[in-house]
Amino acid sequence: MEVWDGISDARIHFSASDIGLDENTQGMSRITENINLQRGLLRYLSTMPDLHLIDKTKMTSIVREHEDAGGWPLVHLDNSKILRARLLIGADGFNSPVRKYAQIPSYGWSYDTQAIVATMFHSPRGPLQRPNTTAYQRFLPTGPIAFLPISPTASSLVWSIRPHIATAIMASSLSVLARMINAAYRLPHDSLQYLYNRILEHQNAGTPISVDEVIEEVEFRERAHGIDTTSAYSSSHTMENTVENQGVPPADSEMLPPLVTSIQPGTVASFPLRFNHTETYIGEGRGSRTVLVGDAAHTVHPLAGQGLNLGLADAECLARVINNAVLSGSDIGTHASLLPYTQERYFQNHKMMSVFDKLHKLYTTSFGPIVQARSMGLEVLNEFDTVKAAIMLNAGSQPRQNEASLRSTVFNLAGSALETASGVKKAADLTRGAVGSMVMNGIQQWMKTSRPGQSS
Amino acid sequence: MLPSRLLRSTVNAAEISFFSRLSSQWWDERGEFAFLHQMNPVRMQFIRQKLLETACDEDETVSQNILKGLQVLDVGCGGGLLSESLARLGARTVGIDASEPNIEIAKHHASTDSRLSENLSYMHTSAESLLSQSRRYDVVCSMEVLEHVDNPALFLSTCAQLLKPSGHLFLSTISRTPLAYFLTIMMAENVLRRVAPGTHTYSKFIKPSELVEFFQSYGSCPWIAPSAAQPTRTEAEVRGIVYNPLSSSWNLAPRDAWAATECNYMFWVRKPAE
Repeated sequence: MEVWDGISDARIHFSASDIGLDENTQGMSRITENINLQRGLLRYLSTMPDLHLIDKTKMTSIVREHEDAGGWPLVHLDNSKILRARLLIGADGFNSPVRKYAQIPSYGWSYDTQAIVATMFHSPRGPLQRPNTTAYQRFLPTGPIAFLPISPTASSLVWSIRPHIATAIMASSLSVLARMINAAYRLPHDSLQYLYNRILEHQNAGTPISVDEVIEEVEFRERAHGIDTTSAYSSSHTMENTVENQGVPPADSEMLPPLVTSIQPGTVASFPLRFNHTETYIGEGRGSRTVLVGDAAHTVHPLAGQGLNLGLADAECLARVINNAVLSGSDIGTHASLLPYTQERYFQNHKMMSVFDKLHKLYTTSFGPIVQARSMGLEVLNEFDTVKAAIMLNAGSQPRQNEASLRSTVFNLAGSALETASGVKKAADLTRGAVGSMVMNGIQQWMKTSRPGQSS
Repeated sequence: MLPSRLLRSTVNAAEISFFSRLSSQWWDERGEFAFLHQMNPVRMQFIRQKLLETACDEDETVSQNILKGLQVLDVGCGGGLLSESLARLGARTVGIDASEPNIEIAKHHASTDSRLSENLSYMHTSAESLLSQSRRYDVVCSMEVLEHVDNPALFLSTCAQLLKPSGHLFLSTISRTPLAYFLTIMMAENVLRRVAPGTHTYSKFIKPSELVEFFQSYGSCPWIAPSAAQPTRTEAEVRGIVYNPLSSSWNLAPRDAWAATECNYMFWVRKPAE
């Protein structure tokens, strides 16, 4: 996985081999299309005879049974059936009706950001390159753009961007989106900002921008920035970039994702980004016998791609807690039975959510000194393989379980820690140079930004 | 007013009226009996473990549903916290309590859970009054009751007589130690007010060694061999249960853990096969 700063180009490289996994066969994490995940789960559920799946049915309301009858939640369905729930699990997303029924308060804020998702097609990686198994993420001041490989010629996009720009891009044609994705990975931020403005102008005039105009603008700005047409940073030869005529790829080709040639129609969607965490996961009092998992309990910024992982971890933990409760003959709907679930997950989720939130805030600024500091931090971090391994393990990567390879992982990490010692020296040298220029840049930046402020 | 048949028994009238006043709170998980709600899984864990262990020793075909079909008596069932759990695991459970409001609460609460009706019944009676009936039980449980009865020796022998041969007696109570006084009376009742003041009386607490001695000298055929200092694993077992305030949960201490039985503990003894 390649992650870099949209302003300074400071880069960090996460590799599966850092945690003792084989890059080609195992990888550090996996991208799975939702439909496959759902199909797999349905197949598994069909092996359980005691489980009733009610489909093609909507819930109309949840009401609380009379106190004397037990006060259990009654779920009314649109086929006029009523389900009396010993335990009602709210896995019903951000606008959770179960959370509303349970009156569980939540707090949070919305980021001034919209996420665009889509499935992108591109030419396969050439024989001299790594296969399409690397994720690319560039942190732009408008939000991160992520490229997540699915197959040799298809990848998934998550592009977080300001809502008005998202609306304008979504209103343009799919080929404009494809061109803009390529540009967002390659052009400096100033030029991107210019392109966004052009798109917005067209949007305001009521005529969406044409793809030819985007191509022309991008090519002009590439020339202006002195980007060589043979470099991977050039998008001028986009459509001819096939395996046959590719030849030897440019030296920097693996720094960037492959050029997007088209977008799969019908896959483009966008949704607002929020930070949200409920105060508790278990309903009490009038909302008793309810528990929340996944997005119903917490919504995060997708910049680390961890929303699903947090939800899966919730589900795993809740299943384990319910199993223990059943073994001891407990009523699984009670607070005492469910308490271990909150105890295990709440802090864990909160910790991860805070990290994503701080990362978002750190990377949406283009204030010089902060850019310098975060870039230096990233470059230094890139030298510490042990720390990187720890980050990857926290993000859900699993090193192989057998003991021998675990030991080799530990030795590798110890070895790389030694290597890091020299890296630290390198980083220290780099820092010494950087601190000087940082102070200078900071002052210059401050002068630049403060001058218009004084005149107005 | 207590029925006259209860008066000549181990039932302490003052204790019964005390718990009757609190009866409405039995099922409030955050209220008066929060500690008991939290303790319940550990009690069930100990009961299941011990039943499974003895079943394995006797090389029966052991199933995980070890409680299924057993005749179980819960003496002093209160609001039915343990009785419901036993019934849910398939035991044919009878809960008895000397407090009528308790039984009313227990019956009402069980009626809200349709799965309980076939295995669970409650009676307002004392253990002594059951002796006149012919029914005997595979398992007799009496949780946090021993420290509230008059004449514990009579109470224990009543429980013992209610068991079938090879039946299991499970008790949980509090040891008579300075630590127990500090934790259960001073802290829980008087300082933190987590339990109503007056719930416990120090002099009524019973040490594990006293329980072991009782069964070493019980009847013509002692349940625990009198010579040995420690009962063997197949005769009886004392396990401490320790509260962890950080996770607000109880844990079953390992066998022979140091000082674990100084406060709350569980006791198991098995009736000889005759």
